[in-house]
Amino acid sequence: MMQDAMVDEWYPVGLFSQLDVNGRKTALMGEPIEVALDAEDRAKVTCGDGRTLPVCVRYGHVWSSLGKPQKDLFAIPEADQPGRRLVDVGVIRVRCSPLRAVENFLDIAHFPFVHTDILGAEPHTEVEDYKVEIRQQEDEVWATQVKFYQPKAAKSASGGITTEYMYRVPAPTCSVLYKTCPPRPCEWDVITLFVQPLAEDLCDVWPWMALFDDVTPMTDLIHFQQTIFLQDRSILENQIPRLLPLDPGMEIPTRADLTSVAYRRWLKRHNYTYGAQLVAQ
Amino acid sequence: MLSDKTGSWTPVALSADLPAGTVMPARTPAGRIALWRSQSGRAAASADRCPHRGMRLSHGFVRGEALSCIYHGWSYARTGNCLRIPAHPGLAPPETIRVETHEVEECGGVIWVAVGVPTAQPPGLEGVAPLRSLTAHAAVAAIETAAGAKAGAGGLVWQAQDAQQIRLLLAPQGDEQTLIHVLLDDNSSLSQRIAASRAVERLRRTAEDLQTKGIAP
Repeated sequence: MMQDAMVDEWYPVGLFSQLDVNGRKTALMGEPIEVALDAEDRAKVTCGDGRTLPVCVRYGHVWSSLGKPQKDLFAIPEADQPGRRLVDVGVIRVRCSPLRAVENFLDIAHFPFVHTDILGAEPHTEVEDYKVEIRQQEDEVWATQVKFYQPKAAKSASGGITTEYMYRVPAPTCSVLYKTCPPRPCEWDVITLFVQPLAEDLCDVWPWMALFDDVTPMTDLIHFQQTIFLQDRSILENQIPRLLPLDPGMEIPTRADLTSVAYRRWLKRHNYTYGAQLVAQ
Repeated sequence: MLSDKTGSWTPVALSADLPAGTVMPARTPAGRIALWRSQSGRAAASADRCPHRGMRLSHGFVRGEALSCIYHGWSYARTGNCLRIPAHPGLAPPETIRVETHEVEECGGVIWVAVGVPTAQPPGLEGVAPLRSLTAHAAVAAIETAAGAKAGAGGLVWQAQDAQQIRLLLAPQGDEQTLIHVLLDDNSSLSQRIAASRAVERLRRTAEDLQTKGIAP
């Protein structure tokens, strides 16, 4: 199982703000790990076999890897932009493949049915054509010019608007969403999905946000995202099979699913198969 | 369960437990199904998986004469063909997009689903009317032992102590669980029905004890 190319990637393993010297016991790709603060208040991640694992702290979270990461964690330049509020949303445990959690995040067609009257509403169900590409230089999946009518796009939105989205997949279990920012039309709000693979069919989802919103209380911002992700969980825990099928034949995509098609193709090309099902069963 | 060489009928639910415009999960020996009833009252059964993204259709919703998936709203006719993909309202879904369906027969207040192609009709249940369904954490063998009788084509006829004769339809659910449909003489009084309901709950406890202790054959 550990032949998978995903072993050398970075994964979120906890919120830095919640660490203490006592440590937090969790898991990464089936291995027990412990995340703690050391005597100098630096994050330290220890594997069940006693190894000290690679660590970095970024975007509010501690990141680690069971293997040897070949490159630094992906950049989110907006995270350092002055004036943004950085929101540690917390964790939602989902009994599904980490790859299914990411694919759901890339999907807009479910908004009217799963996030009814928040991110979508009938009869506004149509998904207009958008652009999808695998950017060779960055080696990332990008979807741009994604538009969707939303009754309440954000905590700061007062009524229905057509929201524009851009999606980015810079790592196999992470996605960054850029979304119309109601108070600042020339900027994008940033909402991320960082997924910690506990096992092939179990994950901890750590959403994180960098928003232009000086008004909404932090608790409300967190509640809004948690509501959305709990609605997604009711879907993710009831998909069959639990693992993400990478071979065609098991599921039927349409034009609205082009981001997911590109994501699956990109995973397969890189042999990112932890949480994937390769042969139709 | 009535079976022949080519197929069998499974009693999946009582008619009264599936109102018009609703969907529920059910099981047959061939797997999980989404059992639903259209607005006009017709019962239908399909595989419990939307072919688009694998979501369970039993979590979906019924509108008019179609069953829709809760994930993206893809809707299906009782014959299994996809009628509508809301993300592409102008698109007529191709014939190739469909869910597997099962034949459904509803008689005497019981909904039967075919596995395979049965040559006969579900067993007639004349003179009895359905009372309720309940799930036992026990296999059919443990229930038969507890009742002191074997299930036949028309179910298990059980003479309970302090109650009238009760007929039980047993549908195995896997994992040593059994769905029990309880039927009574259709002239039963209210107090007889209450007594029968309690008797079957006692039977369930006895069967579950047998199952836990491993006494059942």
